[in-house]
Amino acid sequence: MAIINQASKELQVKIVYYGPAVCGKTTNLVQVHDHVQAVAGNKGKLVSLATSSDRTLFFDFLPIEAMAIKGFKTKFQLYTVPGQVIYNTTRQLVLRGVDGIVFVADSQYDKMEENVKSFENLEENLRSLNLKLDDIPFVLQYNKRDMPSAAPIEFMDYLLNNRDEQVPAFPACAHKCEGVFETLNMITRLLLQKFIAESQRRVA
Amino acid sequence: MSTLPQLIEEDIGELNAAVQELLMKSDATVGFVIDKGGFVITQCGHAPDFDVMTLAALSAASFAATESIASLVGEKNFSSVYQQGENFSLLVLNVDEHCLLTIIFKASLSVGAIKYFARDTTRRVAMQLQVSMHRDPGSGIDLSMLNLADPSVVFRRKSA
Repeated sequence: MAIINQASKELQVKIVYYGPAVCGKTTNLVQVHDHVQAVAGNKGKLVSLATSSDRTLFFDFLPIEAMAIKGFKTKFQLYTVPGQVIYNTTRQLVLRGVDGIVFVADSQYDKMEENVKSFENLEENLRSLNLKLDDIPFVLQYNKRDMPSAAPIEFMDYLLNNRDEQVPAFPACAHKCEGVFETLNMITRLLLQKFIAESQRRVA
Repeated sequence: MSTLPQLIEEDIGELNAAVQELLMKSDATVGFVIDKGGFVITQCGHAPDFDVMTLAALSAASFAATESIASLVGEKNFSSVYQQGENFSLLVLNVDEHCLLTIIFKASLSVGAIKYFARDTTRRVAMQLQVSMHRDPGSGIDLSMLNLADPSVVFRRKSA
């Protein structure tokens, strides 16, 4: 959960990109790192703990400070998890202290089973940390929309966003940086809205 | 996972004083209190070449991973991770359920001495966190100064 330092007026939040293997989680962070407007010192290094074949082994990490928020120095820490099924313990470790989740799904038809399994795995891992997805701001990203075998958005919504109150979902081609900032801005907004609502509850 | 309380000036002052005292007694270079999620809570000492944010994220992850390995081999009391370097060494100590203390010190210093002095520091930090936790547990968070210049776009893409 976020760190709120009233002494230095600093807010630190953790956003985790979750999803099946090779769905584009790391690509999202690479694109944010490469394309975000930031003043010097506001964007940290992108750290990747990856295998020799560039598959995430532990996590990717990108610290970044938002310029558009006044009053609090707001530092975002973006993480990815390794997608491969065998790295579940690692995913649980990365989810510790999570404030917001971006679930990146692979739009290709033959990846739907992996998407659903990964989504179930996310819910299960949150339960092991005594968390519920309903209590955490989260958004969906349907990546790889440019692939010929991409399933329709409605189908993906039916599989992954089939709940009373749908969460925001964004089509994306992360490797072209399409949908990347829309997703990041939405999860950031949801997070800040949640904090502001909690803050107002205190005043009321 | 329950969370840390919000920290006020008094907390940060006490955490800083505890870590400063450790640096003075032990001659360690940098000390920082971090949360187990990888956030920096407070930092003391001079670290011009160290990327503290990344160090915090990685040391929290390293501690969590090594703790999991220890539990796989039946170790229940896991309290520290030590990385011995040629120039600087790093020690990560458990403070409490939520926090860790990371210390970077010259490799010529003895890790035993650092551990000895850090014992008091972790105790002091844990006590202050308890104080902040019990201050007003039902009060919620205060972000009344938070002000979004443009709520639709927090992060902007560079124009091509």
